[in-house]
Amino acid sequence: MTSHFSYGRIAHVMLWCGLAVALLGVSIPKIYSGATEHPLHSTGPLHTCDSYLKFATGASGASKDLISIFQSMNASRRIIIFTRKDDAFSSGLGMTTAYLASPHLVRLFEINGTHPDKELSKMNPDEVAAVVFCRINRPTWLPAGKVFGSGLEVVSMPEKVR
Amino acid sequence: MSALALLGAFGTLLVAGYGLLTLLVRQKIGLSLTEQIAFSWLLGTGAVSLLLWIFGLFVHGMLLPGLVSIVCLSLGFVGWRRTVPLPLRRTPNSFEIFLGIIIVIEIAILFYLSFVHTLGWDGLLNWEIKARYAFANGGVLPATYFSDSGRAFSHPEYPLAIPFTELWLYLWLGEANQFCAKTIFPIFYVVGTFLLVALGKRLTGRTWIGLLMAAFLFFVPQITVEVGSAIGGYADFPLSVFYLATIGCLFCAGEPKSDAFFRLYAAFLALLPWVKRDGVILWAVAAACGVFVILRTKRSPLFFLEFLPGLLIICGWHFYLSSMHALQPADFLPVNLETFGSHLYRIPPLLSAFLAEFYNHPTWSLFWFVVAIDLAYLLHRMGDPRVLVLLVALIVPIFLYLLIYVFSSWPSYLDHVGLSISRLLMHVAPVGFLVTTLAVSCRSEKNSARVREGGAVTCVTAGSERTPVVELA
Repeated sequence: MTSHFSYGRIAHVMLWCGLAVALLGVSIPKIYSGATEHPLHSTGPLHTCDSYLKFATGASGASKDLISIFQSMNASRRIIIFTRKDDAFSSGLGMTTAYLASPHLVRLFEINGTHPDKELSKMNPDEVAAVVFCRINRPTWLPAGKVFGSGLEVVSMPEKVR
Repeated sequence: MSALALLGAFGTLLVAGYGLLTLLVRQKIGLSLTEQIAFSWLLGTGAVSLLLWIFGLFVHGMLLPGLVSIVCLSLGFVGWRRTVPLPLRRTPNSFEIFLGIIIVIEIAILFYLSFVHTLGWDGLLNWEIKARYAFANGGVLPATYFSDSGRAFSHPEYPLAIPFTELWLYLWLGEANQFCAKTIFPIFYVVGTFLLVALGKRLTGRTWIGLLMAAFLFFVPQITVEVGSAIGGYADFPLSVFYLATIGCLFCAGEPKSDAFFRLYAAFLALLPWVKRDGVILWAVAAACGVFVILRTKRSPLFFLEFLPGLLIICGWHFYLSSMHALQPADFLPVNLETFGSHLYRIPPLLSAFLAEFYNHPTWSLFWFVVAIDLAYLLHRMGDPRVLVLLVALIVPIFLYLLIYVFSSWPSYLDHVGLSISRLLMHVAPVGFLVTTLAVSCRSEKNSARVREGGAVTCVTAGSERTPVVELA
């Protein structure tokens, strides 16, 4: 009996019970808010990309369209993607687009400001299948491309432009 | 149809894992059903991803999943012929049933959370991307992927255990499906809880302590809902489960006649660097602990050969990346004494950042505070080599992780820390639960009668009543 109800044992049980209660008290509100802040997303094969693109541009189901555009282009040519420095949305859009642009090789340009004329002028158009602008203004001398929501534009480089 | 395909994919993974488990255990020890499921899953994911990679060097297209399936089924046949014995079962008491119900509810919530959340940023762009590209290329990652500077953000140099487990699902599904890929991550959570239950019982001789620890795993926000948690498709939580299995088996291998546990330890150890690049650090720590156990238990030097598979995987992957002309990772400076010396000034701010993370209650709740109390509790048991191994496995990786930021090449190394520290600490968090298990049972273990439960001898010995020499001799 002594060993079962010694002060040490009581202190041991109280310590761990107290810790358990405190841990639950701190954790439950955080886990509850984390568990309830997200609505059920779509269950499609591209649901994560769709969610990212919708979050960044407002366009729904854009992944499939982007893949179609990239697949219609010559796979031996690169996709050039422009993103803005210090703009997390732009950077995220750029990487998501690069993800979807397979099997093309891609090149990501992170630029200051919103006008990529200087970088574009240095490129060899024969090696480029498309130029993607992520929250960046398309130079006026380039033909208009396919626009997805706000901030994402894909300009394919057809033969006549080259 | 998708559900059937997923069942097929998971079934073959488990069958292959079970076959490997029977080969490693050789009917020498009894493993509970939860242990058998958990070990089978971990060995299965490791084996299938390795097979996809190795066979992919020679074949692609339909032949690749066909060959891997044949190997899985062959391993399953081996498992069927030499089943792992189950220990005697006893009727659970009402408290254990209550805890079991809590754990089932938690698992259900975690599955729900996994499905309502998207893949996390790294989950998509570091891990799933490899599965998708390999699937589109007949099961093999395109050579151009490794040298494409435009996709350097996706870390082509990262190992393939997680992406190729996702690839295995895709090959069964017949399409790359980001939604279905998420199913493997809550399964790792289930495996983590199963291991905590099983190891808790082995460490303390009491099922309820293991169940209690497994139930509390859910209440660490970093594991449940935070960025990089068990639901976001990151490799960090799976790595932590592999590490838990490694260290748990090593703890049990500290007992006499536990060679089967040592073989299991070696198998999980080998898979650590295959799950994530940081796994090399965990591999080094766990291997050092393994060397210590071999020496203390006076095992044959042949046991050192069991480190060979891990070395082969590390060197094989490194060689593969070189042959693919993979881009070098740009996150860290060259690791050498000169760089270390010139960046020593970073250590005090890094220590502060780590300490701040331990107090980060929204991310960790009181977990690290509890671990600190565990350490105080277990100080008097440091003479027990197995407890020492557990503490080293918990603490040393944290210091090594701190040291790697000394070599960070980010313009602001503290930003680098802030972005990844919580995920790195998660690698050792389940081992922290094992330490807590020991601390909670510390007083009751003084009663040696409790090391037996339900007629079955557990891995625990009343450590406080034995000298270390007796313990491991």
